[in-house]
Amino acid sequence: MRLYEFEGMELLRKYNIPTPASFLITDIPSTFQLPSSWNGAVVKAQLLSGKRGKAGAIKLCETGEDVCQAARLLLHTRVNHEEVKSVLAAEKIDLNQQYYVSFTFDTATRSPVLAISAQGGIAIEDDVLSGTGALVRIPLIPIDPLLGLQEWNIREAAAVLHLSKEQAAKIVPILFSLYHCFEKEDAVQVEINPLVENKAGDFIALDAKIELCDDGGYNHKDRAYTPRVAGFARPPTEREQLVKEVNAKDYRGTVKYVELDGDIGFLAAGGGGSITCMDALMNCGGRPSNYTDFSGSPPTEKVYHLTKALLSKPGLRGLWIVGVIASFTRVDETLQGVAQALEEVRPAYPIVVRRSGPNEEEGLQILRRSAAKCGLDLVAYGAEMPMTKTAKILMDKVNLFRAPITEDHMDHINEQEQRSVC
Amino acid sequence: MAILIDESTVVVMQGITGKEGQRAVPLMKGYGVRIAAGVTPGKGGQDVDGIPVYDTVKEAMQHHPEINTSSIYVPPFAAKDAVMEAVANGIKLIHCLTEGITVHETAKMVRYAQLHGVRLIGPSSIGVISPGKSRLGVLGGFNEAIEKIYQAGSIGIISKSGGMTNETAWIVRQAGLGQSTVVGIGGDRIIGSTFTDLLELFEKDSQTKGMVLFGELGGTYEDQVADMVKEGRFTKPIAAFIAGRFAEQMPQGIQFGHAGALIEGTRGLPSHKIQILKKAGVLVAERHDQLGELIKGAL
Repeated sequence: MRLYEFEGMELLRKYNIPTPASFLITDIPSTFQLPSSWNGAVVKAQLLSGKRGKAGAIKLCETGEDVCQAARLLLHTRVNHEEVKSVLAAEKIDLNQQYYVSFTFDTATRSPVLAISAQGGIAIEDDVLSGTGALVRIPLIPIDPLLGLQEWNIREAAAVLHLSKEQAAKIVPILFSLYHCFEKEDAVQVEINPLVENKAGDFIALDAKIELCDDGGYNHKDRAYTPRVAGFARPPTEREQLVKEVNAKDYRGTVKYVELDGDIGFLAAGGGGSITCMDALMNCGGRPSNYTDFSGSPPTEKVYHLTKALLSKPGLRGLWIVGVIASFTRVDETLQGVAQALEEVRPAYPIVVRRSGPNEEEGLQILRRSAAKCGLDLVAYGAEMPMTKTAKILMDKVNLFRAPITEDHMDHINEQEQRSVC
Repeated sequence: MAILIDESTVVVMQGITGKEGQRAVPLMKGYGVRIAAGVTPGKGGQDVDGIPVYDTVKEAMQHHPEINTSSIYVPPFAAKDAVMEAVANGIKLIHCLTEGITVHETAKMVRYAQLHGVRLIGPSSIGVISPGKSRLGVLGGFNEAIEKIYQAGSIGIISKSGGMTNETAWIVRQAGLGQSTVVGIGGDRIIGSTFTDLLELFEKDSQTKGMVLFGELGGTYEDQVADMVKEGRFTKPIAAFIAGRFAEQMPQGIQFGHAGALIEGTRGLPSHKIQILKKAGVLVAERHDQLGELIKGAL
């Protein structure tokens, strides 16, 4: 779970890492009094996605009136597809030097790594995102997970940065604090960019990009961050929220639903299977309306609600019900829930099914019966048909379903009408 | 031959009294696997389906010194402790089915196993099968169904996705081939055994004539395969499918954090993995269902 800057800053303060004084603003203020000790303010949109500087979502302010104006300009606008729900007004810091520092996990060494650079700031953001910048060459300092951050790790880092003795003395405690934050909070990533040295020679974190491990729940039962969609930098939609609630109501099995821009309903079982099928669908020109997966033998009721939510999205042109060869999930139980929803909604568009596993034949028959009863355009396959081949079968049908009526077709229809009139 | 497990495998199941453990017991027993003991702290003295349960791995080892493998089903909060307990008691092969362990705890248990020369499969590993010989975990499901998908043969399979393991093994069967050993390595960021860790074993296994790999977006474990093949450390044909290209085309995309991008640059992107694997001579399938014919053609 990615944190907003203000949430990240709060965590940094918990570990005694200095941050600028700041106010979180969620409603457009009529007045704002700049604290007398401030020499100006920076107003920053709170977003889960990056690159907000480039998008103009960070404003420099001289006066309290400027802060109000900046909040008015930013609040409730959309930046990189994401609504600005709050802005952070922070004290402006006059600085000497900007650093980049992060702890994260490296799959090459299978350990935490420290990355640090004396060229922090927005430039680094661009370099990193393009994957071609100078930053990629920053040496990563591996940390033994059993030992945690050690003095020698930091000496190696300091040598890279050419820090003076005084600077090193001030930055070392911050690095230890940041590692503690990384470990104790079960973070996947903690990044401060920039970590600045102010005119007095003190180090202050001007931003916080923290991603918490989604599996950390059992160590942090008291956490209460607002819900957000994993991997997608936006708050959940109504349907996503609905499926979340359906999922939470019953502990048996898991159903997930993430909304996308396309028009092909996608009802898939199994995590890796869902990803594989998304590739297959897009490979033959299909645009998924959603990402979904369900696993671990969800009861009929749960699958019914998931299917209903999925089918309620307007503008669907096809539906793909697909899954890997299940080891335990009973195909008939889950497809019963799908059939129930299909009978209620009765979509006109083509539906292609490939499900396999325990009670496969019974499950497929349930769907075929519903299709016959309600006149659905549905074809259902079992294990004999490879999963990813059914993407093309669906898209061929969808393309026909979509095909505009041609002149030949019109002539044919007119002819038939004339005949029936005669 | 086969790798990791065979007829000589004798198992202690940690977390045998839990839901996942109880589900795995009949599957493994029904396949002829010898489960000598179970371990659940506080439940010593009980038995599960005739298998004696002990409070500690140490006691289990004292009563059943022939144990050479642990299969772990404990809840996530107890998993690091369980893996380390098995390592500390000298077990050299550990399979960990538990999913949802924090990445910090996983990194610690993986390092601890490495330091002691222990092979850890997982966490989040659905299991291991050497068809006709032995199985760990729940990979393949019920024994009535398993014979259809898993038959002894010449193809080794390694999969990051538990769910896709059946499907991948089935595609191999549909091409008229069988499997030497099939391993679900788990899709976590940090894992005990990577593709290349296991390819080293498959390289030496005389039963294995070719490999099928199921990889995914993220991380660098697939990149390591490309390096291994390029450097001639793996010489048998490999067919691979890398899932997750869709994520690169999405407007909202699955985003890589700065630090992640910093480490990997363009690595972690499926298109990049596909490119470097192809360059190294690995056969990369456009669609998953092509894997069987691809490897068949290369044997």
